[in-house]
Amino acid sequence: MAGWKSLKDMTVLSKPLPRLDGPDKVAGQAKYTHDMHPKGLLYAGLLVSPHPAARVVKIDASKVRRLPGVKAVLTDVHPTGTVRYAGEEIAAVAATSPEVLEDALELFEVEYETLPFVADIDSAMQENAPRVFANRPNIRDPRVRGEGDVDAGFARADAVVEGEYRTQVQTHSTLETHGSMVYWEGDELVIYDSTQAVHGVREGVAKFLDMPVNKVRVVCKHMGAGFGSKLQPGRYTAIAARLAKETGAPVKLMLTRKQDFLGGGNRPNSISHVKLAATKDGKLTAFYAKTYGTAGIGTNAGIRLPFIYTIPNWKHEHYDVFTNAGPARAFRAPGCPQASFVMEQLMDELAEKLNMDPLEFRLKNDSNATRQKEWRLGAKKFGWQRRHKKPGADTGRYKRGMGLAASIWWPGGRGTKATMTIYPDGTLDVKCGTQDIGTGTRTYMAMVAAEELDIPMKRIRPMLGDSNFPKSGASGGSTTTPSVGPAIKNTSERAKTKLMDLAAQFLGVPATDLAWDSGTVYMKTNPVKKLTWDELCQLLGTETLEVHGQWVEGLSSRGVAGCQFAEVTVDTWTGQIQVNKIVAVADCGLILNRLTTESQVNGAILQGISYALLEERHMDPETGTMVNANYGDYKILGAKETPAIEVIFYDEPERGVIGIGEPPTIPTNAAIANAVYNATGVRMYELPMTPDRVLTALEAHQFAGKED
Amino acid sequence: MPPTIQFILNDRTISTDIPTGLLVLDFLRKYLHLHGTKEGCKEGDCGACTVLVGELRGRKVEYLPVTSCLMPVGELHGKHLVTIEGLNLPQLNPAQEAIVEEGATQCGFCTPGIVVSMTGYLMQADGPVTADGIKMALSGHLCRCTGYRSLKQSWMYLQQRPGQRRGIEALVKAGILPEYFLEIPKRLRAIPPLPEKAPSPQVVIAGGTDLYVQQGERLPDIPVGVLNLRPELRGIQRENGHLRVGALTTFEEFAAHAEVRRLVPDIDQYMALIASWQIRNRATLGGNIVNASPIADMTILLLALNATLVLQNGSAQREVPLAEFYRGYKTLDKQPDELVYDILIPLPPPGTKINWEKVSKRKYLDIASVNSAIAVRVEDGHIAEATLAMGGVAPVPLLMRRTGAFLIGKPLAPDTVTGAIEVAQQEISPISDIRGSADYKRLLTRQLTIAHFCKLFPEQIKARDVYESQ
Repeated sequence: MAGWKSLKDMTVLSKPLPRLDGPDKVAGQAKYTHDMHPKGLLYAGLLVSPHPAARVVKIDASKVRRLPGVKAVLTDVHPTGTVRYAGEEIAAVAATSPEVLEDALELFEVEYETLPFVADIDSAMQENAPRVFANRPNIRDPRVRGEGDVDAGFARADAVVEGEYRTQVQTHSTLETHGSMVYWEGDELVIYDSTQAVHGVREGVAKFLDMPVNKVRVVCKHMGAGFGSKLQPGRYTAIAARLAKETGAPVKLMLTRKQDFLGGGNRPNSISHVKLAATKDGKLTAFYAKTYGTAGIGTNAGIRLPFIYTIPNWKHEHYDVFTNAGPARAFRAPGCPQASFVMEQLMDELAEKLNMDPLEFRLKNDSNATRQKEWRLGAKKFGWQRRHKKPGADTGRYKRGMGLAASIWWPGGRGTKATMTIYPDGTLDVKCGTQDIGTGTRTYMAMVAAEELDIPMKRIRPMLGDSNFPKSGASGGSTTTPSVGPAIKNTSERAKTKLMDLAAQFLGVPATDLAWDSGTVYMKTNPVKKLTWDELCQLLGTETLEVHGQWVEGLSSRGVAGCQFAEVTVDTWTGQIQVNKIVAVADCGLILNRLTTESQVNGAILQGISYALLEERHMDPETGTMVNANYGDYKILGAKETPAIEVIFYDEPERGVIGIGEPPTIPTNAAIANAVYNATGVRMYELPMTPDRVLTALEAHQFAGKED
Repeated sequence: MPPTIQFILNDRTISTDIPTGLLVLDFLRKYLHLHGTKEGCKEGDCGACTVLVGELRGRKVEYLPVTSCLMPVGELHGKHLVTIEGLNLPQLNPAQEAIVEEGATQCGFCTPGIVVSMTGYLMQADGPVTADGIKMALSGHLCRCTGYRSLKQSWMYLQQRPGQRRGIEALVKAGILPEYFLEIPKRLRAIPPLPEKAPSPQVVIAGGTDLYVQQGERLPDIPVGVLNLRPELRGIQRENGHLRVGALTTFEEFAAHAEVRRLVPDIDQYMALIASWQIRNRATLGGNIVNASPIADMTILLLALNATLVLQNGSAQREVPLAEFYRGYKTLDKQPDELVYDILIPLPPPGTKINWEKVSKRKYLDIASVNSAIAVRVEDGHIAEATLAMGGVAPVPLLMRRTGAFLIGKPLAPDTVTGAIEVAQQEISPISDIRGSADYKRLLTRQLTIAHFCKLFPEQIKARDVYESQ
């Protein structure tokens, strides 16, 4: 199979093209699961536990069942009857209207035997703390990784820094909550789901309901974002399916905003005790980290240390800690934003101790060839040389500072299948069982086919978001584009081959005598003998041409490097941080669509700022529940706080397609934290860097508000 | 039976007797299946449910964006409700086109609401499109994917559109708004007013921006009184020695009034830190006062301005100084049947300077950790009058009487500010909560007091000097 065309030969790919579903979205015509409303729809909802730890003794639903308009009630939705976080499903109802549903949910009488709980990581780690799981300690056995001889590494160092860093629990907070609308057609189940994985949900729900996979169909044409929280099948989907079965009606079950906050997933927190050392010429010699993180009742609260740096001797012990909180789920670059906060600040501290510029220090210890170039490119565009050599050098109330940090990501493409159907009138469908979670998948599917076949995009109908289409993986791990892009190219190439065979038959020459150019097949030796695209497709007569293709090696690659530079202003009177500018160098391989790619990078940066400054789940130690489970109190960055952003694409088209959704959210928080230090001379060891924490830290250094 | 109300939804006239307290959002999505208006948070924080509400003002209809999740259907009588579906034309309008072209939509869930606000901004009176204006239009929208940067770029695109004019007629002429908008004034005038007598309400609703957040599930089921159907409760008049402000005056109306702008010259800067455009179009001064949040932004300003409330019960009226209205946490000097009718703001003597400060976790569209306002007048280098109010430091919005008394007669000097901070620390009783620890609030009390004096008297008071005098 051929590789990608060179950038200069591309007429569609790698251009900044508006997304094909844009017009539907701006007109409010794009239909989300939230909007599905078939005739006879029943509204379903969940009763969730208000207690963080309890045994469900009795559920009395008799009043619920007697309420007019209630069509079905389930009281066996909890698998064990032992609740481990506030927000776990206890019962479910389907009703004829949202109002009846609300009333019905208030009529359940549940008897709980409440149990002791641990609301946060600190209380969970105390000796004699109540156990989340009776048969297991809250602190799990460590995962230990490393190489070399750490003690020897520290022994030969000239400078050592150490400290404790903390990051918070962040929730995905997608605008559309989790949920499904389901109905049965005989013994076949149709699910509209707000999901990042139509095939995964199909398999998962089939398992939940113990039914054949081929009797389940999952559809997701548009979804209101996921960021990793919608990669897995939800228990709510199976519950909706049972309610629909019982009532013989379509059922919609969307989590409420509060339920979404409590059980819809989150990024684990982290507590890192770390130590880093280097020789006086700036070579890292040793790193040691002991880290803790809570994924609630789940696991995998790891933090990817030692991040991007090459250190001959290092050791990292990580402990997952159980707490009575909703389980974590994958969240945009799992484990990485936490790691950048820790490692990039530690690097800056050590650079200062060595009296070295942070950039220079990084260049000495970063073995990634791409990032070596990116650091220099970014520094130049950003104006790194304007940075204050001495922290806190600005006089006055407002102090400016600059910082930098790196990003990294691993996965590339993987198995994805696609089908192309070509019609005699020259139009075609491209089908792939992937999904467009807002990243522009639909659009580049058409672009790849248009580029390969040299036909206008408007003749191509990209189709996705349906588990009846050829299998593709979940949209996660930044794997979608490096998987789907090559699969569509491969399918297009196969279509081309088949069409050339058809042309060869028609022209009575061997296919090897034919060539393809600009949507036309012609004879190499006699170019006037040719067939245009339309003529080719007419050869199909009344048939259609079905072609199958798949992801193949060589069109995508693994590994992403990048870096970011931040400029901030700190208001030393109030502790408020304003991010003025972010310059991001994004390592992009071959960019399929420059507009949607840039949009991804922008969005990732803004989520990074939001993580750095605002977002934080607050658990109430008294009640063990989340106190800010609403957008009013769980703050997310808004339009007015948005800084100037400059995205520099580091094109490496020869690498093929790589994923870009996750890596640019990794370094932002650390670049800001380093900039805050450069502005004030005060280092922030805990995220988010709220005015509360900043002002308190400035006060501890005795200069909050001291200058006009 | 709720009264039958009549209004225009997009281009159709609606007559309905559904419960008055039902949310406009639920009415649109669950009854009419108009799904372009999205439900994101139901608390006015995300803007996904934004609609336009048009109201007759003289011969014209004026449109403002509001969050439909905080608005009762009962209030729509005689008004024009516009959803994304009512803005759509066979071709995209410029706000829509800009978002598509600049890649400013990703998952798209927040997008229809943003289009409504941007179109609403274009519908305001004639004038050029400015970056600040569109920033205001976007201030109440949460976008979790794309990033506001591409939205900002789409503003630039709108700015650069040649001949772009604002205002309804210009937009219709340019093929940007549907033609039916031109007939709306006439159609609205044809709707008769509601009969006076409504069933006696259990709850009265002003702007609803706090009430629906607190009691959103209860209100649709009970008889509610929609105050906004009583126009006499709105508006600002200058009378002898004071401004009389109708309790239903919205934050936006208040801030736009010439007399208020004369009294509080920096009000635009303060408003930028208070809620979003959509919420300010709904939130009323009376509602802010009666909600009795210890941290209410507008109430804190009104305390420093020495406001007095006029309470009405039937034909009986009485006056209560705002500072005496609060008896304890969410406890008011108000009978159940009494309504806050007017707010009287005395016009201070010339030379009085006013400042308002707020610190919140998120700078914009957030509830304050601590807010504060001061009105101060200096004569011959001495403080002749001082009224200081603080929010978030006590169970009620606090008039700092002792601190104010301390200041009067003192020289305008750094150690006076230091002394005032000491008194203030004794006067407040902050608690730790989600907006910050008690210690942090004490720190902010100090910082905001310093900020007041440094901002109002930059020549005489320097922050550094205040520190050194501590």
